[in-house]
Amino acid sequence: MQNAPIVQLEKVSKVYQQGQVEVKAVDNFDLTVRAGEFSVLCGPSGSGKTTILNLIGALDAPSSGRVCLEGQNLAELNRGRLSRLRRDRIGFVFQFYNLIPVLTAFENAEFVLSLQNVPAAERRKRVMAVLREVGMADYVDRRPDELSGGQQQRIAIARAVVSEPAIVLADEPTANVDSAAADRILDLMAQLNREKGVTFLFSTHDQRVMDRARRLIRLRDGRLEADEHRDR
Amino acid sequence: MQLLHLALKNVLRSRHRTWVTIAAMAFAGCIMIFYASLLQGWLRSMERNAVDMETGELQIHAPGFRQDPDLYNVIVDAKGVIKRASAAGFICAGRLLGSGLAAADENSTGVSIMGIDPGADDLVTRLHAHVQAGRWLSRKENNGVVIGSKLATILAVRPGSELVLVSQAADGSMANDLYTVRGVLQSVSREVDRGGLFMTAAAFRAFFVLPAGVHEIVLRRALRSESLTAATGRLRALFPNLEVKNWRQLQPTLARLLDLSNVSLVILLLITYAAVGMLTLNAMLMGVFERIPEFGVMKALGFSGSRLFGLIVLETVIQVAIGAALALVTGVPLALYFSVHPLDFSFLLRGSSTIAGIAFEPRWYCEVTGHSVLLPVLFLFGAALTAILYPAVKAAMIRPVAAIHHR
Repeated sequence: MQNAPIVQLEKVSKVYQQGQVEVKAVDNFDLTVRAGEFSVLCGPSGSGKTTILNLIGALDAPSSGRVCLEGQNLAELNRGRLSRLRRDRIGFVFQFYNLIPVLTAFENAEFVLSLQNVPAAERRKRVMAVLREVGMADYVDRRPDELSGGQQQRIAIARAVVSEPAIVLADEPTANVDSAAADRILDLMAQLNREKGVTFLFSTHDQRVMDRARRLIRLRDGRLEADEHRDR
Repeated sequence: MQLLHLALKNVLRSRHRTWVTIAAMAFAGCIMIFYASLLQGWLRSMERNAVDMETGELQIHAPGFRQDPDLYNVIVDAKGVIKRASAAGFICAGRLLGSGLAAADENSTGVSIMGIDPGADDLVTRLHAHVQAGRWLSRKENNGVVIGSKLATILAVRPGSELVLVSQAADGSMANDLYTVRGVLQSVSREVDRGGLFMTAAAFRAFFVLPAGVHEIVLRRALRSESLTAATGRLRALFPNLEVKNWRQLQPTLARLLDLSNVSLVILLLITYAAVGMLTLNAMLMGVFERIPEFGVMKALGFSGSRLFGLIVLETVIQVAIGAALALVTGVPLALYFSVHPLDFSFLLRGSSTIAGIAFEPRWYCEVTGHSVLLPVLFLFGAALTAILYPAVKAAMIRPVAAIHHR
């Protein structure tokens, strides 16, 4: 039996205005992502990967079409509800890590739980457990500028998964780390997907990420080029 | 509480950004406190020169004397009036007023002769502390006079020189006598500078053959907490048969001029505030705009727009509080120092001079008051919070995706 759909995109288009020119970043795009998937959006630069992640993550709104998360049409939610939806149901891993510079590794990982008003003792327990899983338990008091790129990305992953969201959206997570760090990060995400059932959707043009994907969604010029399901 | 924690972390851990902003605020606040105190001191000195120097805060005359200064129109029971006014909380001194002709060598000019009691007058006015050459009158001075600066130039006299006074005495006889110039005053007012001649009351009585009464009683409030209007009213009630006027009624042009100066200085102060406010504003705006990508990430993680707005405002309040505290710690001692050690512009202005009848001192003292300290601090808070509204609203409204990629 197939898992329940978490993300549904129906005839979604996104048009950007660049001066006098209209640029169609996503064109009439359909997609369904189910719980437990380890999927990759891939394609050349400008193919619409990041735009699709932004639309699914409620960071941006489509020009037309429907984006649903766990059956909820995002267009029907106001700013406050979208904000709560991002806080409770979506985890983000950004290309440039985007940790909050004044917070320590622990505080960054704890940030979403604080917003959810999770009691301090439980927060500490859950954050430490996740930091141990990503191998960063010894760096809790370090600030982002005291960590390497790979270490910052691991903290970003901890921040994304600690609140147990419905889906983790990872935009080029290996783009700014060295090969060894990229492998460790991918191992970690694959492990979280396998053992905890965390749903991942990546955007990448890194072959290593594509090699590990169980589903490869190929994009070109904002359109679906191919949707390959792989057995692993 | 959670917001306060986060705001404190942001403020205390972003040391470079925080201290640049706080230093700008503290510097602006310090300058504003110092400048406001300096202007306050300058205004106070102008008023003091206009009022305390010669006119006094209030004056009592016999009815009709002000319209027609007749030598015979005196306050008869001067001692009784002074005693009652003193008991009512005023510091008083009687004065005798006359006019005559002064001559020295080939030069002569008309003079206003004022007979004063040096001991009592020194407590009401500050003429005694305004001598530029020679010395002030002593109580037992019978043939010494102190004259205005311009008069000394007209008569070409200096301390030690002799001059002849001629007038008509109260008994109808010709009054004339030889006097020695004891001192020459600094600039006081146009009238005093050009024609003011001061002698002791005893010398005046001897010259004018006027045995009793005074023409004028000058007064000062013992406590400045009572308003001038209230003090005038109280004095009028005490002496209904005499003419009581305060300095604003005695010198309405001067009062209006001072009011005008006050307004001009407030405008000048506001311009200065605006200029230093810009310094603060710039530091704050830079501080917020460079964090737009960070705000975008926070919003992406579920931090709502309203909380973000609250966070930015709270951080500003913390920074202004620290900046204002530093401004107080540096600005108040600076202003207090210059309240004792004046800024000396003697190299630009030799001695004091009068402009539109008001004497200007070349030495500027700060006067530290509640106004001069609190207004800059309140302005700092007001300007910072007003200035932060736009970037805070912008940050709260910005779409996360636009904020994250903001460069």
